[in-house]
Amino acid sequence: MVIFGASGDLTKRKLIPALFYLTRERMLPAGFSVIGCARTPATDESFREEMGQAVKKYLKLSPESDAFVESFGKGIYYIAADFSDPAAYEQLKTLLDRLDRERGTSGNRLFYLATPPSFFPVIVKCLGAAGLAKAKFPGESWTRIIIEKPFGRDLASARELNRVVTEVFNEEQVYRIDHYLGKETVQNLLVFRYANGIFEPFWNRRYIEHVQLSVAEDLGVENRGSYYEEAGLLRDMIQNHVTQLLSLVTMEPPAIFDATSVRDEKAKVLRAIRPLSPEQIDEFAVRGQYTEGWVGGKKVPAYRAESKVSPTSTTETYAAIKFYIDNWRWADVPFYLRSGKRLAKRVSEIAIQFRRVPHLLFKGAGADGIEPNVLSVNVQPNEGISLRICAKLPGATMQIRPVQMEFRYGESFGAPPPTAYETLLLDCMLGDATLFNRSDAVEISWELVDPILDHWRDQGPKGLATYPAGSWGPAEADTLIERDGRQWHRV
Amino acid sequence: MAGTIEPIGLGEPRPVNVADLEAELSALWRSAAEDPAAENAVTRACTLTVLIYVESDEAAYDVTSLVAEVTRQNPCRAIIMMLEPEAASSGIEAWVSAHCHLPVAGEKQVCSEQITIRARGESGQGLPSVVLPLTVSGLPIFLWWRAGSFSPPPYFDEILRVTQHVIVDTARFSPGSGYLQDLAAWVHRFSGKVQLTDLNWNRITPWRQLIAQCFDSPERRPYLDRLSEVRIEYELDSARLVTQRAQGLLLAGWLASRLGWKFLRSERQNESHPRTFFFKSDFGTVKVARNLKRVDNACGVCFTIELTAEGTPPARFSFSRGPDGKVVKTLAEVPDAPPIGRSVRLEVLDEVEILNEELKMGVRDRLYEEALTVVARMIAS
Repeated sequence: MVIFGASGDLTKRKLIPALFYLTRERMLPAGFSVIGCARTPATDESFREEMGQAVKKYLKLSPESDAFVESFGKGIYYIAADFSDPAAYEQLKTLLDRLDRERGTSGNRLFYLATPPSFFPVIVKCLGAAGLAKAKFPGESWTRIIIEKPFGRDLASARELNRVVTEVFNEEQVYRIDHYLGKETVQNLLVFRYANGIFEPFWNRRYIEHVQLSVAEDLGVENRGSYYEEAGLLRDMIQNHVTQLLSLVTMEPPAIFDATSVRDEKAKVLRAIRPLSPEQIDEFAVRGQYTEGWVGGKKVPAYRAESKVSPTSTTETYAAIKFYIDNWRWADVPFYLRSGKRLAKRVSEIAIQFRRVPHLLFKGAGADGIEPNVLSVNVQPNEGISLRICAKLPGATMQIRPVQMEFRYGESFGAPPPTAYETLLLDCMLGDATLFNRSDAVEISWELVDPILDHWRDQGPKGLATYPAGSWGPAEADTLIERDGRQWHRV
Repeated sequence: MAGTIEPIGLGEPRPVNVADLEAELSALWRSAAEDPAAENAVTRACTLTVLIYVESDEAAYDVTSLVAEVTRQNPCRAIIMMLEPEAASSGIEAWVSAHCHLPVAGEKQVCSEQITIRARGESGQGLPSVVLPLTVSGLPIFLWWRAGSFSPPPYFDEILRVTQHVIVDTARFSPGSGYLQDLAAWVHRFSGKVQLTDLNWNRITPWRQLIAQCFDSPERRPYLDRLSEVRIEYELDSARLVTQRAQGLLLAGWLASRLGWKFLRSERQNESHPRTFFFKSDFGTVKVARNLKRVDNACGVCFTIELTAEGTPPARFSFSRGPDGKVVKTLAEVPDAPPIGRSVRLEVLDEVEILNEELKMGVRDRLYEEALTVVARMIAS
């Protein structure tokens, strides 16, 4: 596996720990090797040392694991290179051939683009020019490429990137990663819907009143101010993570559980989402930016006071949008999407609210306790599913109270689920693209957010709401949903 | 046999890092499940989040024992919040513990979590940012404001934004302040969004029932329309003064709001005497007078409300409670009928019992809100 951008945080925090875990669990072959590739000067030894420390730190390993970490490190190599320098790819090719011979990697190659997006086309073209995009031993070995988000910064750039990538690689070789799709609960959503007979009959407009998708982070932009200034929340979260979650909740049952069928259904439902016209955007979408506040008991600065952020920035750090899906199953059911940085807590949840009972049987005090059933799929951090039902309080009087029926991964199975990167890296190596994005889905999701981005760009500071860091977002977002007689589900 | 068990595996609440609160709670339940000393298996129960605001360490200590009782009927995640804005240093500290009880011998212990958070100095502004993430998703949130006045600082708005029910106790409010006006103003501001409950209002529910019952019969009903005077008498120099003063005002506010009286003005004889209020009813002017009375336990009466209806002779209805607080003597004197007196035993609930009732009900009390609105006008005059 060749990681471009190996000196970045993603490699240390996620990729190498995930590969270590897969190795320790004997899910990777003995000769599995990693080549880190970045502009930062380093040697094989220094890179191994750095990655070893990262594994120990992020997996919280005890000293007894040192020997295994050292053994894992022997399969790690480093090339310091300019990504646009053809010579670097010749050096890479030579090293890959050597590893095939010395470590028995059999010609299988997985390229991981963990660089800033501006390098994606350069690297792809150079890999093609160096002859590294094709299988070394056709029919016996494989070559694949994983591309990190963001995949484009608008529809035009996403199409252009797709064009460049598919000029060099076949679509079957391309794995556009969205780590949210690797989370256990996201996969479990499919199991929940299609392996349980009782839910699918209710999964439609007749029984579901509305759906909320919330992806909240308590962190700010940290040291990614310059990236965030260019991206903003809509590009960073809604276009990819939130839209992908939406497609999994709303897609039709695939005929079979394979990459093509699942991704066909996802693309189909994304195409059915009603795009917002420019006139509708102010009514259907809210953007916000955090001001100074408190998070976790600590005072935190406003977005505009963050490092590498303009003091007059109009970049959104929060967005809430209402969508409708124009198909047989979901007609007239609103889908409320919200995501933000520096919110009250880190949590991602899908809340499916069912319709109220048609007739209130319990009058008086008891009726006040009757709340609609809500099925909550908690994607992170406490992965699980809960169902809110009404129950009678014990006692002589008829008092009704909402209660939760809960399933939590950690408590039910006794072991934490694998991380998203462990799942996705292994899937890619096994050639299963089910949990990766296909080019059409990426482009459709850009088609949905592009008009909103354009409108907000044209508006400048007008209409940009603010919210204190540590809150649940701007009051305007509450108004968005309260106008419809609903409230945000408290996550 | 059912009984309360000390916090599992802890004895005393365990201090924890604020950033690790959720993780510590998970660890608490894991340790409880694995504790070899535990005689019974443990199950966590939670039907709501109760946020409790207190003003001192002592109050937090007191409330901990109340929470242990409350969780028997209302399993919850209890979060006790303490603010020390005047503290020299800033910082937030937290402790976690659990309250367990055994509903059925041999079955699982049922346990509820308690988190205690103390914010000092400027960090008080950060208290909501610690509390909000700890509220249990999808379940009701009650805020029990157990303090000398209801005056949440502006930064509590984020907590109030997610709270469905606020419970205060006007019996605890400091005398002499405009606390009831503040409370009424707050109800107006959050109208329809947050439901307000007053434990002191719950205490006068039996009184309201007695008064209402007195006019149940069709013959008595016309006297209500002709009420011209209400006299409320309560104790001077008593520990119950604050409670009774608020109760008297609330009863007056209740009568005025239910009977459609319009507030006119107030008068005060002197600084040491409570104000008298005047209302306009369809019949004429209604005077609501309050008297403070030094109570000798031997006299047997410590709280009286007397209603007088215009007529020749006038009709009188009085309700007097003895110092033990358990028996109310009622007396109805109407023209052309012999006086009818009776003694009614009141059900006196303690704080935990009232709170448990409120946590179960959780409904908007419009009668209270309307009575409070009238009281606010009375006090502001």
